[in-house]
Amino acid sequence: MQTTNPRQRLLTLLSIPVFLFLVVPTAIVVPVALNDSRYITFPPEGISFAAVAGFFADKAWTSALTASLQSAAIAVVIGVILGATAAIGLHGRKFPGQQAVVGLILAPMIVPTVVLALAFYQFFISLGVLGSILPIGLAHAVIATPYVYLTTRASLAGLNPALVNSAQSLGAGWLSVFRHVYLPVILPGLVSGALFAFSVSIDETVMSLFMQSPSATTLPVKMFTDIQFNLTPKIAVSSALLVTVATLGLLFQVMFVLKRRSTARMLPLAVSAPN
Amino acid sequence: MSNATLQRARPEGRAPAPEQEKPRRRRTTWWLLLAPILAFDVVLFLSPLGKLVGSSFTGNAYQRVLEDPLVVRSLINTLSISLASTVVTVVLGYVIALVLWRSGTVTRVILFAVVLLPFWTGILVKNFAWAVLLQDNGIVNSFLQTVGLTDAPIELLHNRLAVIIGMVHCLLPYAVFPIFSSLTSIDDRLALAARSLGAKEASIFRRIILPLSTPGISAAGLLVFIISTGFFITPVVMGGPGDMMIANQIDYYARQLTDFSGAAALAVILTVLVSILVAIYQRVLKAGGQHADN
Repeated sequence: MQTTNPRQRLLTLLSIPVFLFLVVPTAIVVPVALNDSRYITFPPEGISFAAVAGFFADKAWTSALTASLQSAAIAVVIGVILGATAAIGLHGRKFPGQQAVVGLILAPMIVPTVVLALAFYQFFISLGVLGSILPIGLAHAVIATPYVYLTTRASLAGLNPALVNSAQSLGAGWLSVFRHVYLPVILPGLVSGALFAFSVSIDETVMSLFMQSPSATTLPVKMFTDIQFNLTPKIAVSSALLVTVATLGLLFQVMFVLKRRSTARMLPLAVSAPN
Repeated sequence: MSNATLQRARPEGRAPAPEQEKPRRRRTTWWLLLAPILAFDVVLFLSPLGKLVGSSFTGNAYQRVLEDPLVVRSLINTLSISLASTVVTVVLGYVIALVLWRSGTVTRVILFAVVLLPFWTGILVKNFAWAVLLQDNGIVNSFLQTVGLTDAPIELLHNRLAVIIGMVHCLLPYAVFPIFSSLTSIDDRLALAARSLGAKEASIFRRIILPLSTPGISAAGLLVFIISTGFFITPVVMGGPGDMMIANQIDYYARQLTDFSGAAALAVILTVLVSILVAIYQRVLKAGGQHADN
């Protein structure tokens, strides 16, 4: 496949701007945050950590960061438990209505976030629990769970259900079946799913925006509110933080894929809407 | 290793369960495993959505919103912006997918990472970066002035083109993967055979590769269009007042007008539209012989 004919070179040439289009905006975020200027400029005029220090000295931003981490923690814990139990429960099984169950599990990925945002807003208002981070975390868990389910299901694909039967006929209880049969197989999928869940929650803006309150404003909501007035260095620092998290997540994913030598595992995307 | 561990794990002095009891015990376990997610989704997914649908049927909401010229405007915006973004995204996605397909293993992994980085990055961060690049004293404007194309900064932000740029950037990874997977399913020998029969690269592309990758193109197009229709943040950050889409209208009804039944009616309209498109998308995936992950 490494033939270098003129057409091949034309394709490469043609693709360079497209790849740049894809990468440049993400790549400038960290330099912009470290820019030595009171204004947002690119290319940076010099390196300075003033904006970073300013970010961490500003209570509005640090509490937004805390709120985001809290909601992500809720989403990851619930997502991992529900996604993993569902994937194990459905593994190697056929029963009437199975498609409906799988459909329900994956449905939160398909409904546009703004629709869910409105639904949760109405729902939690009627329960009178809006105003804390809990409803936001729960809402994030709803959209994060399908990701964990998919990554866990993908890692279970190679496990023969007969193995579980033989473990049980050898007298293994459910806890030891889980620890010795399922856990080693699903662990990479679980970690990958947890990363997805974390990333989904930490970047989620629309639902958090609808459900925001002074005591529960997440990082993206603070960014979204500020960005409409001015591009400030603190938004840049916040963006840089999120890009760093994204890069770490991606690095892990790439390492995981290289180890497993399968690109398919990289993409339990199905139909998922960022917004 | 697992055999020994499993045997050790058996409680001492307890006989294995009798033969007939085993299937029943397994069935109970299995329902218990599905119970948490089903309960969670019924309480926190189906019931809020049910409530939403219910409230959309109060106060003549559908008639009211559809008579609102702003809503009609936002519906038209949604369709035209989504369509434009989809076309651009699929074309650019095809170029990337071709390069990925043609490259060796190492290059492929690196390029995959390049495609996936923006996918992992939140939409707000990406839009912020575009706002930095496109602002009045941004790098694009200074480049245009240096080259001499413009004398003064031109307004690159807060218009429809900016919205489409921002959306295409977010949507691109979603287009690459379906196209890439349909390209990899093409039999390499077809191109080899054509080449040995004297076909030029251009006609190999036009007559073999392009037709055989159409399932990927239509899957990518539908997927991208489906995602486009729900965009909320990009029109606000990068668009002007005339570029509001249906999601922004839902927000306006809910949080500015506090007209919940109107907002709910709009949300139902959007969900129905998206569901129809998803159904078509799954048809296309099946027809294309691609194993859908959903």
